[in-house]
Amino acid sequence: MTKTFTENDLLRYAYGETSETENVEIENALVCDQGLQEAYSDLSNALSLLDNGMVQPGEASVQNIIEYSRSFNLPSVLK
Amino acid sequence: MIRKEVSDSQLVSLYKKGDEVAFEKLVEKHKSRVFTTIYLIVKDQYTAEDLMQDSFIKAVNTIKSGRYNEEGKFLPWLLRIAHNLAIDHFRKAKRYPTIVMEDGSNVFNTLEFSEDSIESMQIKKDTHALLRKLIQELPESQKEVLIMRHYMQMSFQEIADATDVSINTALGRMRYALINLRKKMQQTNIAYDQNFYRK
Repeated sequence: MTKTFTENDLLRYAYGETSETENVEIENALVCDQGLQEAYSDLSNALSLLDNGMVQPGEASVQNIIEYSRSFNLPSVLK
Repeated sequence: MIRKEVSDSQLVSLYKKGDEVAFEKLVEKHKSRVFTTIYLIVKDQYTAEDLMQDSFIKAVNTIKSGRYNEEGKFLPWLLRIAHNLAIDHFRKAKRYPTIVMEDGSNVFNTLEFSEDSIESMQIKKDTHALLRKLIQELPESQKEVLIMRHYMQMSFQEIADATDVSINTALGRMRYALINLRKKMQQTNIAYDQNFYRK
């Protein structure tokens, strides 16, 4: 008998927080439950969208960080 | 040829021994996630740039002074620093930020759209900017969970512990955040790429 899964279960699964046993059960359920498949597909799309929302900082800020780290080793900085 | 990616733990170990290139790799690898986490909280690109620098500088100070003891967990540690600095920024300002208009061309010009036409680049740019605006407009509890889970990579149990709620509440808030985002995206007139988001 196929176990019933909630949207919370799918969320945990999508983020890799389910156990090995749960993974097998969810994957079996996804094969035979079209509603669950659609819910998981929607969830995956939503999470992909969030990845697309990532922003890059300016290069000057990154260089400042790297320069700070390098200067940390200079004798004038060490006290 | 198979190239194995060097782990954060290995990079931190190399950095501790004075390898600055290892640190540059850590910065390159995580700058976007750290910056996005801060930016979604403070809603201002210039403040986010400052706080991102402060976050990495704190990390440098801690590692170089021999006080770092979280090998293997560099990113969650760094993101906690970033998150705390962003929250502290609000406490000091004694206010929640107002919505900042998305005129920050410096930030968005740096997004990578290498293989796209100008038109599709513009659509993606608009979609990504809209998404960030919509995330910022979510109810505070939903936004908090979304940032912690998706950008800070905390587990739902860790989020539940940090926010003093049950794991089911944390999961529910995340689900509602995603539902609200979808509704808001559908309600906007901006053209959005069907490949990014079905329905």
